[in-house]
Amino acid sequence: MRDVAIVSFAQSGSLVDIAASETQMLLPVINAAVERSGIARADIGFTCSGSADYLAGTPFAFVANLEAVGAWPPISESHVDMDGAWALYEAWVRLQHGDVDVALAFSSGISSRSDLREVLCLQNDPYYLMPLWADHISLAALQARALIDAGLATEGDFAEVVARSRRSASTNPFAQLSGDVTVESLLAEPYTAAPLRAADCPPITDGAAAVILVAGDLAREVCERPAWIRGIDHRSEAHYPGLRDLTRAGSARLAGEQAGVGTAPVEVAELSACFSHEELLLSTALGLGDDTEVNPSGGSLASNPMMVSGLIRIGEAFRQINENGRHRTLGHAASGPCLQQNLVCVLEGDS
Amino acid sequence: MTDPAKTEDEGGPIRFMPQLISLDYTVRTNPVAEAFGAALADGRITGHQCPNCHLVYAPPKGFCPICTIETTAEHEVPVADTGMVTSWTVLTPIQYTGQRERHDYALASILLEGADGTVGQQRLLEIPLDEIRLGLKVAAVWAPPNQREADDRGYGLGTAVDGWRPTGEPDAPAADYREHTL
Ligand SMILES: [Zn+2]
Repeated sequence: MRDVAIVSFAQSGSLVDIAASETQMLLPVINAAVERSGIARADIGFTCSGSADYLAGTPFAFVANLEAVGAWPPISESHVDMDGAWALYEAWVRLQHGDVDVALAFSSGISSRSDLREVLCLQNDPYYLMPLWADHISLAALQARALIDAGLATEGDFAEVVARSRRSASTNPFAQLSGDVTVESLLAEPYTAAPLRAADCPPITDGAAAVILVAGDLAREVCERPAWIRGIDHRSEAHYPGLRDLTRAGSARLAGEQAGVGTAPVEVAELSACFSHEELLLSTALGLGDDTEVNPSGGSLASNPMMVSGLIRIGEAFRQINENGRHRTLGHAASGPCLQQNLVCVLEGDS
Repeated sequence: MTDPAKTEDEGGPIRFMPQLISLDYTVRTNPVAEAFGAALADGRITGHQCPNCHLVYAPPKGFCPICTIETTAEHEVPVADTGMVTSWTVLTPIQYTGQRERHDYALASILLEGADGTVGQQRLLEIPLDEIRLGLKVAAVWAPPNQREADDRGYGLGTAVDGWRPTGEPDAPAADYREHTL
């Protein structure tokens, strides 16, 4: 395996109901990531993006997004209809080929122009769940209910996760929801889809993010503290949620094992837990203990630009090494209903 | 799949499930497209000129995709409502539900005078389909002022222009459109 590191990261921050086009939103973010890397744009050998045209209802928006990259003279590029974390994964695989040394991965999402409870139904199987309009919040509530019924968590535990997320987000200028809330006040709120309340669910966020990946010694030349990708893995559950034990995040556990999470202590874990109970499931699945700080950014409960949230988790894990001097962190991304797909990326700084 | 009855055998296994899906979207017009639309309503076509490479984009994008720098109202320049055909296709409308076209028609990419990129999917009017050619000089046939709706994403000219008619001028030489054909 070739050593590959993240050397720069940029994000738009939590945009709410933006009027700009997706491309206009992306341009300054990609520019910032490229500038911070100290690498000339012409030296980027591969570009990969992640987005979903269904969100804003703009067919081929993913093609127009390339205009934010500077794609002339022609570049080598690819796109995934997934969170940008998967674009990063493809870029990492591409760098393993050995013929290019620098890659750009970026993603964007405008969630504010559709009803996500409608649009996200389209990721269900078309025969059984889609006709029921089994939306992502209702499915998440079923998973939360399964945890409670199995005695693995309480609504109070969910509220604890929310309160900590909001508190942590207070120091994150890019967060959408932050501040001090008490567990009692959270539990006094009405249900959105029992046993989940509004605060257990993610906010509607528009946004974009970009990272630059560099292979080998070049990463040390351009970056004082690069974050090396020491393990990265993606696993998926069976498509139909009814075939799964919803009280476990089995594919997250597998991805964590394959990425080598448990081989050394993890100082910080940034988890794509869009619903409060998902953080409990993921912490268990990844074997995270009290010595791991979870979501110091506030996580996806504090800001959740669809298609970007996972890439931001990895970007935040990078920042912990690059800016805060941590040694070993992880970023996690998820996709699909009830943590159907999970990607785990383990990062390490130079000791 | 609109009529399952025609495709199922009587008493046979179900092979098709009609499932109509409707999704609702909020349409937001970005500020650059909004300003462009206001000019169109006024009978003017505008572009943004990149301060770095000086290329003129019409419709304006709010940035130069080559230099990756933002452009704003201060980079706005006027673009003519005349130009030349750089590419075209003849469409034969399939009569699916909702189809409004009944006869073959032509859509063209048009390089406007004063712009460096083409405007796509523009209807050609007042010319037999077999007489359309590269370099054909055309002029805009504007829609009535109260019917000039810009595209909310800033693509094309919306409904501001009904189409383009030949001006009768000599065709442009190949050197003028070679870089703009598809
Ligand atoms: Zn330019």
